[in-house]
This record gives sequence, structure tokens and C-alpha cells, in this order.
Amino acid sequence: MKKADVFVIASIIVFILSLAYITALGGLGPLPPINVRRIAINYLNLTYNTFTPYLTVFALESVTSIVWDFRGLDTLYETAVFYAAIIASIALYRGVYMDFKKNTEKTGLSPIAKTVTRISLILIPTVSASVALHGHLTPGGGFQAGSIATVVIVLSIIIFSRYFLPIHGLSKNKALLFRSIGLLGIAITSIALLLIAIVLGVNAYIFQNQAKIDAPLSFPSLVDNYILGGSLLFFNLFEFIAVAFGFTIVFLLLSISEEKVKKVTMDG
Amino acid sequence: MVNEYALFAAYVVVLSLYVNLGIALYGIFARPSLVKKLIAITILSDTANAFAILVGYRWPIGKLPKPPVITELPVTRKVLETYTSTAVDPLPQALVLTAVVIGLAVTLFIAFIIIQYYRLYGTVNIHKVRRR
Repeated sequence: MKKADVFVIASIIVFILSLAYITALGGLGPLPPINVRRIAINYLNLTYNTFTPYLTVFALESVTSIVWDFRGLDTLYETAVFYAAIIASIALYRGVYMDFKKNTEKTGLSPIAKTVTRISLILIPTVSASVALHGHLTPGGGFQAGSIATVVIVLSIIIFSRYFLPIHGLSKNKALLFRSIGLLGIAITSIALLLIAIVLGVNAYIFQNQAKIDAPLSFPSLVDNYILGGSLLFFNLFEFIAVAFGFTIVFLLLSISEEKVKKVTMDG
Repeated sequence: MVNEYALFAAYVVVLSLYVNLGIALYGIFARPSLVKKLIAITILSDTANAFAILVGYRWPIGKLPKPPVITELPVTRKVLETYTSTAVDPLPQALVLTAVVIGLAVTLFIAFIIIQYYRLYGTVNIHKVRRR
């Protein structure tokens, strides 16, 4: 072992022990804490609170309420980071085009694996749609649903062939289009009430979900005794589309033949 | 009795998080392979996420902690009181939720760059890349 390695390992051990000592002294309080923080109590209390209608979200799930209502604007910027990473990945593959090869029956894994996967290709999107559409009621939401849906892409590439998706009509450009539709949906939902308010001549805010004391407009929160969670349902749906197709683009790019990518990236 | 188990579980979790942190830092700083550095980065981010969840948990004193989801309708004052006194902190979960997805996107981007390194230099060893 080199001297540099010994120095690095010793430094890491000292750093970890220092952190552990600070934590043991109570630097972060008891872990886990005895009670949740005051801000958490406020979030929990305002998730679905008919007694404070101007502050509540009218959704049953506190995490989704925070993600798309209390901290909605933060989530929008975090989503922008996600899309920037996807765009940067696409930029690295500029000039590389996907090829179409019709013969997918002879490629891929065994017929047993293919049959099981065909069933999964229906079940997984169903589960992911359920996770997205119930995100305001149960644990889940657009991010998780989009990630689940991406499993379909990975499975079909591995089990069938890298030509399977382009042959069935899902090209990189089409995925890019759907991803943009998802992103556009998020943007429109975030300013929907504001646009309506401008037309009606009343006050409203960006990312407004339910009516505030000085802004009377609301997204529908309850239809026929079914809790919709206002804008949360739309945000989850559009985020689901955007995340699923964003990851689809990345996996489609990763599945392109290495020789082809090498030729384009090395030769220009 | 529940508290003794909870205390033991908390010690095990915190200890394992610090071990994970050490492994991740070692991978990032000491390993020359870019692939191993990427794996170490994912371990580091998962450790940070697990730590955030731990900070947002609550001790099982009296009632067991519950997920931050209201499961009783209609939502009366009593339901809200029970909910706020038993549910865990939803804020770290919300932060971790976005961090996981963004982390995955960034990880994929780094993976793309590593593949590009391999195409250009024929190796993912950063020392060998530096010499070329």
C-alpha cells in the first residue's frame, strides 16, 4: 500500500470518528428525535385540515403535499436539474442515430423470458399509473411512478432486443416529445390559476393549489366524494410522463450499438 | 421493551451509516477506477438519504411511529391530533424523494461521461488517463 493511500484512509477514519463524536455528543439531537420538529408538525397539521381552509392542501399524503404544494417551486427547480442531466446526456450522443432492424424474433432471451416479459409490459405501466394517480392519497407520486415505468424500457431492451422499442414506434425523438409534453404540463399547471385569475381580474399566485385568504381560486379538491388533492393530481401525472420518458431517452441512448457511437464520437 | 429494541436498532443503523460513509469516501478519494468512484458516489448519496430519513424518524414512545399519510376519514380534530402525534417527519422524505430521482439522472450522466472516457482512452483508470 502506498503512503498516499495510508494518508487517505487515516484521514477518512479521523473524519468519520469526528463526525460520529459530534453526533454522539448530541449535535443533531437524539437520533432518531423523540418528537418531530415544529415545522413537521405544521406540515402534518395542514395536509388535510378543513378547519384552516386557506392554508391546507386538501390531500391525504403529506410528502406529496410538501413536494408539489408547500415546496412546489423548489421541486420545479430540482426537476430542472433532472432535465439538465438528461439533456446533457443527449448532447453527448449528438449525431448518433438509432438504427432499425426488423428481425427481433431471433434476438434476445428465451421464449419463456419473452412471454413473462410481455405480461410484465402490461402490468408494470398499470402499477406505475396507479402509483402516479394515487400519489396524493397513498405513498407514491410522479417521481416514483416514472421510475417504475422505466423498468419496462430496461426489460424490453434486455429481454427482446435494442431494436424492440424503435420498431414498436418508441424512438428517441418520440420520447423527447412526450418528455416535453410532461414538462409543459407541469409549467401550465403551475401557472393555471394565475392565468385564470388574470382573465377574471382577481389575485392569484404561482404554484397556487387551494384558495388563499386574498386569492379566491382553487383547483378542484373533492369531486363526488373522491379526494383529488387539487393541482397535486396534475403535477403527479405530468411528472410521471416526464420522468418516464426522460429515463426512456437515456436507456435508448445507452442501448445504441457501441461501434456506431464510437464511430460518430471519435470520427465526428 | 420496545425502546430497548429501538435503541439497539438506532445504534446499528447509525453505525452502519458511518461505515457506509467511510467506504464511500474511500472509493471516491482512493480508488483510481472511475466506475468504482461512481459506485462510491451512489453509496454516499444513499447514505446521506438514509441519514435524512433517520433524522426525520421519531422514537416509538407510547405509540409506534406511522407513515405521514392520513388514513381516517372524515378528518376531525381528533384524527389530526393523533396524526400529528404519531406520523414521522415528512420533510426529509420529500427531500429524499427528489434527491433519489435527480441522483439517478446525474448518475446516468456520469455513467455516460465514463463510457466516453473509455471510448477515448481505452481505460477508466484515472491515473492512466492522466498519463496520456
